[in-house]
Amino acid sequence: MINNAELNESPIDIIKQNKRIEEKVNFIKAIFLDIFFVFYSILVVQRAIYYKFILNLRDIPFSWGSILLVFVISVVISVSWTFTRTTISCKLFGVAKDNKATKWTVEIFGWFLFNITFIAGWIITKLSLVDLFSAEGIQGAERLFGALFTPEFGIFDDALFAMIETIYIALLATLISIPITLFISFFTARNLMKGNKITFAIYYILRLILNFVRSIEPLIWAIIFSVWVGIGPFAGMIALLVHTIASNAKLYSEAIEGIEQGPVEAITATGANKVQVVWYAVVPQIVLPFLSFTIYRWDINVRMATIIGLVGGVGIGTMLMQYQGLARWHEVGLIVLMIALVVWIMDYISAKIREAIY
Amino acid sequence: MILKVENLHKIYKNGMHALKGINFEVKKGEFLVVIGLSGSGKSTLLRCINRLIEPTAGSVEFLGKDITHVTGDELRKVKAQIGMVFQHFNLIHRHSVLKNVISGKLGQLKTLNSIFGKFSDEIYEEAFRSLEIVGIKEKAKERADSLSGGQQQRVAIARSLMQSPKLLLADEPVASLDPATSNSVMQFFEKVNKEFGTTVICNLHFLSLVRRYATRVIALKSGEIIYEGNPTDIDEKWFKTIYGDEAEEVEIR
Repeated sequence: MINNAELNESPIDIIKQNKRIEEKVNFIKAIFLDIFFVFYSILVVQRAIYYKFILNLRDIPFSWGSILLVFVISVVISVSWTFTRTTISCKLFGVAKDNKATKWTVEIFGWFLFNITFIAGWIITKLSLVDLFSAEGIQGAERLFGALFTPEFGIFDDALFAMIETIYIALLATLISIPITLFISFFTARNLMKGNKITFAIYYILRLILNFVRSIEPLIWAIIFSVWVGIGPFAGMIALLVHTIASNAKLYSEAIEGIEQGPVEAITATGANKVQVVWYAVVPQIVLPFLSFTIYRWDINVRMATIIGLVGGVGIGTMLMQYQGLARWHEVGLIVLMIALVVWIMDYISAKIREAIY
Repeated sequence: MILKVENLHKIYKNGMHALKGINFEVKKGEFLVVIGLSGSGKSTLLRCINRLIEPTAGSVEFLGKDITHVTGDELRKVKAQIGMVFQHFNLIHRHSVLKNVISGKLGQLKTLNSIFGKFSDEIYEEAFRSLEIVGIKEKAKERADSLSGGQQQRVAIARSLMQSPKLLLADEPVASLDPATSNSVMQFFEKVNKEFGTTVICNLHFLSLVRRYATRVIALKSGEIIYEGNPTDIDEKWFKTIYGDEAEEVEIR
């Protein structure tokens, strides 16, 4: 078991050598991080603060040549800087000298990084207190709020129907997702699949696909499916369904990964077969988290179904979009009020159910 | 001879050599206690006997039959004849006490029947009898996690009794209980051993319990048997050998 070559060296030497190697690796990491910090600082100061704010240019000059120049400059600066072993990255990777120079550099450069980032963010978002508090702007807002708070009940019947449509779309997407997600989640649980190479490959590929599907917003899925199956409630439902499966499969399989192994061992020891072990030792441990995730997801889906309606054909979201386009703010007021009310009720109910089953 | 372990080795994937050639035999009706420090291989040994862990080399003979390489249905049949009780009880928290006890019978039930919860009247009767043996019949309808530690371990014993085991393995069954409860739980193992003649192999930490309940003792140290014999013969010198020079015996009552 033990390598003879290793036995000839004393353990202390091995530890020392490992430490030296680790320090070298960390120093190289520190150089790369310093290059990033310096490159970032120069770019932010030059582009966001100097060009955009001080020169107030509308179009910022861009060429790969200039970027490359900045990069070369920052590499030269940061490499020579890192070798003094007083930089922020040296400190982060634990290879810095422990002296006053390090302390000051870390503090000053840290603040500098934070501040230029904040200022750049301010400039990019065009944060303007003048716009926020201009008399004209406030007047517009007052008019809008006034309309929103005096809703037009003439469209109540239509809005109610659209609202019900939205809730049912969310409900159906959630219900259909349950068996599919359950089935998938067992194949994406690491502890069940890590056994051999084939199952682990299935696990890995499935996880990859789910991550990809999940990273695409339901709104985008709705656009895709409204081309695929035509604009309407079905496209919205299927968009929600796809996203629900991808998100919940991750949560479900994490619940499976988190079960206690003790009961599994105990049931296996009675001579039970695989199906019996899953049913008696795994399922009781995951039923509650599954229910809880699913109910919470229905709640999320009602909100998402509203948003999906914005791209067309489905329920209350579409209605909101139409009246907003016509600038009929009293009607918009009613719709917003109803959405808020339903979301609040759903939130409350789902919280109560989740509390009750635990 | 109910159990014969020959030259048993276990090397874990991380290279840990947990068992280094274990040899011993167990006669029917014995109360064999395995002692040793944490990490000496006690739990690994028990789990190799009922094949919860696959031994790397060597053989385990149960009732005169080599069970080291049996698989599938045959392996489950072997497991069904060997009961096991764990340190952390390993009950299904959300199930009732009764359902937990019945789950001991799973090895002998049809898959579909067990999934739909269809159990015959005989099984219910047997479950109540098992609970009566450990003295908590009145808790049958309660949720398993509402019971105290000692009661949960008694449910676990009742669960293993459902298997009508020829051999009962107990992996530090009282290590997470207080001294008084420990003793009362150990008395149920003694009862099973004496009244039903069930052979018991039990991992224990406290020597006072070992002296009281064991008919024979095996001591493990880093995967090897360093002592085998009568519990009353373990003197100061042996104690130091087994547990290290700094150890001192503490008495629990």
